Amino acid sequence: MTALDNVSIGAEGGVVTGLIGPNGAGKTTLFNVITGLQSPSSGRVSFDGDDVTGLSVHRRAQLGIARTFQRLELFGSMTVRENVQTAAEICELWSRKETPARTRTEEILDRVGLRAVADAPAHTLPTGLARLTELGRALATSPRLLLLDEPGSGLDSAESGEFAALLADLASEGAAILLVEHDMDLVMQACAQIHVLDFGVHIASGAPDHIRSDAEVRRAYLGEAVEA
Amino acid sequence: MSAHAIELIDVHAAYGGIEVLHGVDLVVPEGSLVAMLGPNGAGKSTTLKAIDGRLVPTSGCVHIAGRHMNGASTKQLARAGVCSIPEGRGVFPNLTVEENLRMVTQLHADLSMSEVAERTYARFPILGNRRTQLAGTLSGGEQQMLAMSRAMVSDPSVLLVDEPSMGLAPRIVAEVYEVLRQLAAEGITMLLVEQFAQMALSIADYAAVMIQGRVVTFAEPADLGDVAGAYLGASA
Amino acid sequence: MFPAGTSSEPRTRITLGEFIGLTIAGLALGAIYAIAASGLVVTYTTSGIFNFAHGAIGMVMAFVYWQLRVEQHWSAPLALFVALLLVAPAIGLIIQTTLIRRLNPNDTGMALVVTLAVMVALMGIAFTLWPQTQGRLLPAFYGPNAHLSIGGQLITYEELISIGLAVATAVGLRLFFYNTRLGISMRGVVDDRQLMAMNGRSPAMLSALSWAIGAALGGLAGILTASTYSLDIINLTLLVLNSFAAAMLGRLRNLILTFVGAIVLGLLDAYVVGYLKLTGWLVHLRPVVPTLFLFVVLLALPAVHLRSGTAAIAKAIRIPAGARSLGNGVALVVLAVVVAPFLHGTVLGNVNAGVALGIGALSIVLLCGYGGYVSLAQYAFFGFGAWLFSEVGHGGNPVGLLVAAAAGAVLGVIVALPALRLRGLELALSTLAFGQLAYYMFFLQPEVMGRSDLAIPRLHLPGLSLESGDRNLIFLTVVFALASAGVLALRRSRFGRILVASKDSQVAVATLGLNLRLSKILLFALATALATFGGALYGSTQRLVTADNFQYVSSLFIVLIVYVYGVSTPGAALAGGLSLAIAPLLAVHIPVRFQAVTYFMTGFGAFVLLGRPTGIIPAASEWLHDKLPRRVLHEPAVGTVEVSRAAASDA
Repeated sequence: MTALDNVSIGAEGGVVTGLIGPNGAGKTTLFNVITGLQSPSSGRVSFDGDDVTGLSVHRRAQLGIARTFQRLELFGSMTVRENVQTAAEICELWSRKETPARTRTEEILDRVGLRAVADAPAHTLPTGLARLTELGRALATSPRLLLLDEPGSGLDSAESGEFAALLADLASEGAAILLVEHDMDLVMQACAQIHVLDFGVHIASGAPDHIRSDAEVRRAYLGEAVEA
Repeated sequence: MSAHAIELIDVHAAYGGIEVLHGVDLVVPEGSLVAMLGPNGAGKSTTLKAIDGRLVPTSGCVHIAGRHMNGASTKQLARAGVCSIPEGRGVFPNLTVEENLRMVTQLHADLSMSEVAERTYARFPILGNRRTQLAGTLSGGEQQMLAMSRAMVSDPSVLLVDEPSMGLAPRIVAEVYEVLRQLAAEGITMLLVEQFAQMALSIADYAAVMIQGRVVTFAEPADLGDVAGAYLGASA
Repeated sequence: MFPAGTSSEPRTRITLGEFIGLTIAGLALGAIYAIAASGLVVTYTTSGIFNFAHGAIGMVMAFVYWQLRVEQHWSAPLALFVALLLVAPAIGLIIQTTLIRRLNPNDTGMALVVTLAVMVALMGIAFTLWPQTQGRLLPAFYGPNAHLSIGGQLITYEELISIGLAVATAVGLRLFFYNTRLGISMRGVVDDRQLMAMNGRSPAMLSALSWAIGAALGGLAGILTASTYSLDIINLTLLVLNSFAAAMLGRLRNLILTFVGAIVLGLLDAYVVGYLKLTGWLVHLRPVVPTLFLFVVLLALPAVHLRSGTAAIAKAIRIPAGARSLGNGVALVVLAVVVAPFLHGTVLGNVNAGVALGIGALSIVLLCGYGGYVSLAQYAFFGFGAWLFSEVGHGGNPVGLLVAAAAGAVLGVIVALPALRLRGLELALSTLAFGQLAYYMFFLQPEVMGRSDLAIPRLHLPGLSLESGDRNLIFLTVVFALASAGVLALRRSRFGRILVASKDSQVAVATLGLNLRLSKILLFALATALATFGGALYGSTQRLVTADNFQYVSSLFIVLIVYVYGVSTPGAALAGGLSLAIAPLLAVHIPVRFQAVTYFMTGFGAFVLLGRPTGIIPAASEWLHDKLPRRVLHEPAVGTVEVSRAAASDA
């Protein structure tokens, strides 16, 4: 079955780009194709102008692509700190870093707000914090492209406001952030540019206000235009 | 006990220690169709799982036809008439269409294969043409029809349907909804989880809106107001 | 393992008639493999658990059949009916409902170890009920002289029966899985267990049924093997390896390919015997034919893709801090110093051997405990290390130890390479195949240690004689303490964290930029180096070894025992090594009939794992930790309560 049909989506550095669409629209598939966990039946993935379609998962990560997972992939037997630290250490294997992994780990823990739970075993975390841990882990590789798969689920509205600010902050440092999210408040708040996927097809893109009023988008989400 | 086909009282449920239902209260009156709406991650599918036995609630009560059903297995509930059609096509991809239908006959002793096949192929002639084909090779719409056939032939006392429109083209969705409409017209009690609010509301008697693990609104479609906010952000 | 019995007579010229005869013999053997392998496939596909005890069930059924047929003088049909349609399914059901049901198929290590434990326990039962001191023969169904003659070739009825039963099994399984509702649901449950429950059929019942069917097929294969070849506990139990090789062709899922694989294996066996001169270094080629076939299949199989969503929630085990582990080491050495003078003779020798094995078994902690890869070839590495030390450690030169370790690292890479692309289960079984290959094709060679004892010099350190046993014990204990401190230090290091992270989620580490293949190779190299190092010390402690010291079956035992004690704990390696070395001493003091007690203890000990997956030692230390007052231990408590409070304050 075709999960993605001829989708062309770009993400630029310094900006948070939103990727939304109803369930089954192919968003996670797209992330898998970008990170190399799935291969596209046709088409190319390029990163910084280079074709990365044939590269292995870890090679792409080493080029600067990092992600979080909708179905969590935490290191469950480790603490939150160890999760981030191990990521930083894996990164040290392929990239020269000025600051040692431990220092960067502490910086990241503060930055994403995991200080209070740093010593908790990862498998005991509530979803919201677990997703933040995955974000912290991804940040430990200093990615140039950050793919976030539903990081907002499990956050309450105050937390999601802070989270949007964090994303903006991260983007301002030059990384490209691609955000898949169902929490529309978060998407509208955080994203400068939004792409809408429906049924594997790219149906709209634009600024938040444009997307909100787009008829196609409303149809995709609410099924308004369908006549029985 | 009341005549409610399904009644949930303060149901809590969790996946591996992480609570996702924080006290769901819900009533599905006998013979009615309740559409359950709400954004992703609100706990709609989890609620269905708590009813059909795939997930055992950590606390609270699940009543089906007035009977306390917490902890009953999926198989027991299925044999007791709870028909659940899970999200993402409830078919066995490596069995043929006919073999899939044969699985349905396990539900009742008096359900004969020929009867099941006859009724299914009468309603969906396309499946009749594909009876020896593996279900996994069918189109998404055909798979959903095959899944729906279990509901059509097994005469369930309660029908739970999870996002029947997921990943389907609008024309196919309309066809699936036509079947749901007919089942509702036959008086089958139905709890329908759907992300496409408008479509679900067009056939529903009541709507329940779920947000963050709780049912926050329960009303007739006409009294519901604008649900778009729940999906597209509060300011929409 | 090959059913022993028919010895190979090299032939010079083969006529067409002989070719037909060989082919029939090969088909008959392939038929038995096919029946056994199909049982394995049915169980695996439906329940998701690879049944290591499959051969052992067949073995027990062969003895049950013997009991009924020979001891009770039942008629063959009645005995067969009771054995295959009542007893075997009952055994399968009992195993499934009491043990297998509680396993998580994603936890390959635990699933392997528990079925391995069942195998060992069944062997213990068989050794007790049917002591091998008495010779037993299963009568052929039609007597030894019943045969047909085709083209001048004698074809026994037994062979025809095997072939006929395999055909019947194939047809029967086909009809069952495609024409009955129950059979179809067993295929369907593989796709979606919950959906099967929604269709009113219990997935657990279907899994149980698959074990019953698997046990019956295993039993049939066991009885056929026993009546054609011999009634031998070990050989019958290891039939599982040959049927695994056949089933691997269909990746343990495809019945048709499994039958093809089985027939090819049977024919290969017959032709190898018929056409090759099995002399010289090829003398033991026959038993490893399935192994070689398996390696070819493994190399040809396509690589497995990383899958997300399979991350298992693992329970963390406390890693002792550096100071603490050093303290433990010192305490251990002090204990050795105190105990050594009181030990003499064989006891001292066996304790020494146990500590040396413990050093080698630390490799299991590295590989299985930290890395999550089950290796079933440790004794091959021990043997290799011992042999190397005898070759290069002249006069007990300690450089020989380093050479052994370095060569071990290379060997580890060679073993890991073909299995890199595979899943944990396939990897584990390919290491077992490697162990078998090493035993038959290397250790059994006269030039190595096959014909006579291999003399190995006692290690000689400059200025320190280890000739006396008590000194050697203290020395070995020091080495163990240092090695386990090293293993723990490794666990606390960057590499250790990366290992554990890879075990928790392969997808995550790959998307963080880790080259999983490289880290896997590194882990295998390290662990194997440790194993050969320990093996060299073991050899130097024993002074005389034979191939029997490095039986490939022993690898199963040591992994099992280390798992039972706690596979993530270095102490478990020592406990495991000592248990294996001391068990024979105890056996002397118990009646012959109960000598199988070690099998029981090992087998049933593993059932502990179901309740305490981290093993005995961590469970005991946790228990102590809970009993002792907190302030004695000076350890901060981090628990879920604190976590949720912290989470709340963070919000």
